[in-house]
Amino acid sequence: MTTLMERLRLTHPLHFVIGLTLWCIWFVAVYGGHAVACEAAAPAPDQGVFTLLNGGLLLVSLLTTAVLAALTWGCCQAVKQNQGRARFNAAVSAGLYLFSALSVVFVALPIIGVPPCL
Amino acid sequence: MSTVNDKAIEHDPQQLHDDLHEIWGNPKGLKSLTIVNHTTLGLRFMVTGMVFFLIGGILAMLIRTQLAMPDQDFMSPDIYNQVTTMHGTVMMFLFAIPMLEGLAIYMIPKMIGARDLVCPRLTSLGYWCYLFGGIILMSSLVLEMAPSSGWFMYTPLSSSEFSPGLGSDFWLLGITFVEISALSAGVEIVVSILRTRTQGMALHKMPLFAWYILAMALMIVVGFPPLILASVLLELERAVGMPFFEVAAGGDPILWQHLFWLFGHPEVYIIFLPAAGIVSTLIPVFAGRPIVGYGWVVFAIIVTGFISFGLWVHHMFTVGIPQLAQAFFSAASMLVAVPTAIQVFVWLATLWLGKPKMKLPMLWVMGFLIIFVCGGLTGVMLALVPFNWQVHDTHFVVAHMHYVLVGGMFFPLIAGLYYWLPLFSGRMPSENLGRWGFWLTFLGFNGTFLIMHWTGLLGMPRRIYTYDTGMGWDIYNLLSSVSSFVMSAGIAMVLLDIALHFRFGKPAKHNPWNADTLEWANTMPPSAYNFVSLPNIETRHPLWDDPNLPYTMAEGKHSLAVASHGRREMWGTDPITGKVREIIHLPGNSWWPLFAAAALAVVCISLLVRVYALAGIFVLIAGVFLLRWSWENGAHPSAAPEADVAPGDPPLHSRTMDGPGVWAMAIFLIANGSFFLSYLFGWFYLWTVSPEWSMPAVPPLSLSILAGAGIAVLAGYGVIAKLIRGLRQKRDAGLGTGFYLAGALGALQVALTGWALYGADLSPTQTTHDAIMLVGLIYALFHGGLAVILTVMQGLRVGYGYVGVHAPFEPAVVVQLWRYNVVTFWVLVGALAVLPRVVGG
Amino acid sequence: MRERNCYTASRNIQRVSRQRVNQIALVTMLAAAGLTAGCAGDKSILDPAGQAARDVTLIWWIMLSFGTVVLVAVTALWLYAFRPREVTRTPVQERRIARRWILGGGIVLPVTSIIALLAFGVPAGQRMLAIDDSAEVIEVIGHQWWFEVRYPNAEGGEVVTANHLVMPVGEPVDFHVTGADVIHAFWIPRLGGKVDMIPGRVNRIRLEADIPAVFGAQCAEFCGVGHAHMHLFVEALPREEYDAWLAERQEEQLGAVATADASHDDARDAFMTHCASCHQVAGISSGTTGPNLSDMGSRATVGAGVMAMEEGAVSRWLKYHQSLKPGNRMPSHDDIETDTLDALGAWLETLSP
Repeated sequence: MTTLMERLRLTHPLHFVIGLTLWCIWFVAVYGGHAVACEAAAPAPDQGVFTLLNGGLLLVSLLTTAVLAALTWGCCQAVKQNQGRARFNAAVSAGLYLFSALSVVFVALPIIGVPPCL
Repeated sequence: MSTVNDKAIEHDPQQLHDDLHEIWGNPKGLKSLTIVNHTTLGLRFMVTGMVFFLIGGILAMLIRTQLAMPDQDFMSPDIYNQVTTMHGTVMMFLFAIPMLEGLAIYMIPKMIGARDLVCPRLTSLGYWCYLFGGIILMSSLVLEMAPSSGWFMYTPLSSSEFSPGLGSDFWLLGITFVEISALSAGVEIVVSILRTRTQGMALHKMPLFAWYILAMALMIVVGFPPLILASVLLELERAVGMPFFEVAAGGDPILWQHLFWLFGHPEVYIIFLPAAGIVSTLIPVFAGRPIVGYGWVVFAIIVTGFISFGLWVHHMFTVGIPQLAQAFFSAASMLVAVPTAIQVFVWLATLWLGKPKMKLPMLWVMGFLIIFVCGGLTGVMLALVPFNWQVHDTHFVVAHMHYVLVGGMFFPLIAGLYYWLPLFSGRMPSENLGRWGFWLTFLGFNGTFLIMHWTGLLGMPRRIYTYDTGMGWDIYNLLSSVSSFVMSAGIAMVLLDIALHFRFGKPAKHNPWNADTLEWANTMPPSAYNFVSLPNIETRHPLWDDPNLPYTMAEGKHSLAVASHGRREMWGTDPITGKVREIIHLPGNSWWPLFAAAALAVVCISLLVRVYALAGIFVLIAGVFLLRWSWENGAHPSAAPEADVAPGDPPLHSRTMDGPGVWAMAIFLIANGSFFLSYLFGWFYLWTVSPEWSMPAVPPLSLSILAGAGIAVLAGYGVIAKLIRGLRQKRDAGLGTGFYLAGALGALQVALTGWALYGADLSPTQTTHDAIMLVGLIYALFHGGLAVILTVMQGLRVGYGYVGVHAPFEPAVVVQLWRYNVVTFWVLVGALAVLPRVVGG
Repeated sequence: MRERNCYTASRNIQRVSRQRVNQIALVTMLAAAGLTAGCAGDKSILDPAGQAARDVTLIWWIMLSFGTVVLVAVTALWLYAFRPREVTRTPVQERRIARRWILGGGIVLPVTSIIALLAFGVPAGQRMLAIDDSAEVIEVIGHQWWFEVRYPNAEGGEVVTANHLVMPVGEPVDFHVTGADVIHAFWIPRLGGKVDMIPGRVNRIRLEADIPAVFGAQCAEFCGVGHAHMHLFVEALPREEYDAWLAERQEEQLGAVATADASHDDARDAFMTHCASCHQVAGISSGTTGPNLSDMGSRATVGAGVMAMEEGAVSRWLKYHQSLKPGNRMPSHDDIETDTLDALGAWLETLSP
């Protein structure tokens, strides 16, 4: 039986899916939060992009990126410290965390430039 | 259990073969309907898929005939709409998915060194559901009442007001039936890949094809339930009048689009990934070197699998979603280009560094590359919102979609069929006829669809049965139509080639392409049990590293070369390391899958003709068949009453608490969870977005009664969890009583939930709020009831001696359902009864 | 002789004459241009007549060129990889080559392309947003299988017409669209992107026509048996002509046209018996199920683009509409005498301000 601690180690293949799962959760949160906010309390169009809503979405995105970046760094350390299977797992996880972090940044870019509810 | 040493015992290979054949061999005659073997069923899937492909192809020819010239009256608009709808439906649901699943079912155990899939009876159920569902759907075409609202069945066009006949019902019920098949195959393929790889095959050593199929199967598990939910809701609206998509009552037609594309977009990648897996298998073989960047490919597979769930709205850019949300989906859609490009360049680098040979399968791979890259490029274009607004719903999209699906699925599929043909038949394909077939198909395809991009840019919308002359569309449509007939001639030639080769093909020598993977260690054609003995594999290229492996395996020089116990056995291994954990014993041939599928087919037909009493009766009959099937497990006399194993071997899986059934239940619950989340999405979506939504100021559900039900289910779970702890410590005193107690608590939960429902006095045909609430409560009631039945059965099985400390396997399966029920029930109470009280309607 | 506004689709003809042409000249020109059916204009995305569409066309040509280069390059590289050769490389060299391909082609290429695309795409999309209330508003409602067009802000009162949309040229116009029954889509290819017409919602899109011309439009979202026969005739007019066009269509004026000329009394009676419950004609009836026919004679097409408006077209439509446009919601008129249908058609053709 693998224990929980083993599964949390950065060389466990569970990390193949955690990064992109976080990406998915972030994506749903931002998309859903944005939709609900526009339905419930849409900011006035003349505010442009400088609305509380854009700010909030940006903050969530930055936090998610930070978490993913930290995990990327952790996996990179694990790559250096391991060999064989563990190294392979850590390397793939590092790539996936990095990709997830950059995907958050990339998908969140329009928040800076597009007014929220039009 | 760490490693199991290969047995040094000398066997008489022929004797061993005969003994294994006695256990695994397929029966003949009527009894062949009971076969559960993956090789046979995989072939059945593929042959049936090919038949549906031909039907879908004929429909395509009808479409191109109609559109060949302006103002044609070859078909009436109604018939044309039926034909286009069925063409899309057949190709997507009855050809692409089952075909690739069939290939996976056939190939996966052979590639990972197993003897069968892990739930053989489920394979069989899947096949029968597919066949019956397909026949039901096709019968609508013969009866001229086929669905005609387009293959994505947008509401309200598909609802009873605008599609009064039975067409939409055929689609909704037939497709749901076929999806049962896809889901059951998905679940067992996941478990098979994770838990039944041969000894030593660690996760990072398994063939790339297995990675692709693993991703495909997981995507099926997560991706299909939203469509099942949508189909259930729409069928309820059509049959009973519960208004989920009707604006006036508080519903929203856009909900259908969300649920459909939540399934529909991943579906594209569900089709593409296995095909890319074929390419990643063939290229190293024909380049004569290992793939470059195995890790990169794994990375690309995982990224594709996830990102594809974040793109669904790019099918809905014109429905009026805010710009910012469209920008999210636009960016996410473009991201998919990254993993795809990585794969293309991994393949290129592999060819670059190898010594590639342009054999017939590689010709099809080249065709795939050109067409798929082109489709990928137009895909990136379509992800750009302003461009999408222009070409959405035009023939440009039709062309793009065919480039992606035919290029991304059909070409690799044919490449794979040619590649594995010697394995299927023991004979080689011809080079000549095959090349003719390729060139005709390739040129015909591009002639049809490259031109069609242009037709779309000239403004021709899709799904119009006729068009006026003078739009500048005439010549391009004619060229498309002529080319499409060239393409069908090419496909006919390919099929002819394949058919002829069974008779005239040159006998193949062993491992004819000098491949590296284990499926070529089979005899050609393969035996029912695949391998006489199961090797220890610690390399990605077993047959390159040890060309003698097929012979030593056939001579029984590796492990599990035992047949004396009369069981169908293979390794259960650790999902990560590939170390042996237990011996999995598989059930033999069985009538129950066929009976259960037949009963479900009757349910489907009686729902179609709206004889609900009959449907109810057959639901019960199907339930009885399925429970009877599950009775023959574990220590049951027809499964594994004795637990004897050879000295040094690990225990039978039914004597442990972490066998494949636990995994299968977990994967099934992921699918179920996806269904549940889709439901929650529907509830919150309608609540927040639906234009005319209204809900009572105070939720009609009694919070105290529901809380009581929630406590009952929690208590029931507590009882079972305690029993499990006991079993882990080898105690089974009071096991039976414990199960009955838990069953009683479950029954209490069901009764209280029912009471809350009764007290709520819902009018589900009047408002969407009441309708969607009712669906949630029925979901809770069904799962509560299921848990009660399974738990009481466990109590009975304790009495029979099938379950206990000696066979503690099944309680570990059932407890997961209880855990799931506790979580989902409380979430449901929170969403339906608490949150509306807090937030207010 | 009534006057008809109808520009032809052919660009040549547009160049020759951007003025109103009379019916006879139009028919001749249509025949000359090889257009046999309807006054439907050109629908090509590649022939833009508005800024929004022009942006998209430009990006299309850029994307096409870039895409072609990528496709050709990738294919050529693959084919080149098949060349017979005898090279021995060390594993280190192999790894370096592989990494170069994967990073260059698999990461740098797609990432730079999509960043460039998105940088263009987001601003281009914003141009079609109806951000403020400054523009002219035209409401378009999709029905199975015709378009209802309303001008809510017309001076003197709302103007309602069907299947024939007139818009001012050289200024932004906000289209507010919705669906009456199923989902349809509003799309004028030469002006810009489409938007769905969804029951229960109003979607907005801002478009602008640069030249006074006729544009083809057709329902783009599959909406049932009549989907192929759901056209919209779009005509962009200079502002003053647009205002005049609207002014001509005030209720009183149209009512006066409909009730004038006693020789059509029989036709009006027949209309009241057979048509009035579904169709509105100003001053006569107020049915709302089918298209408003108050200015029918001035429209370019009959049956939502099924045939061109010409002498006798309406009567032919009334007789054969179920074969001209199979499945349309108007009941068959087999039970009505031919003479009556002819009279009805003749009268409806006079309904032109």
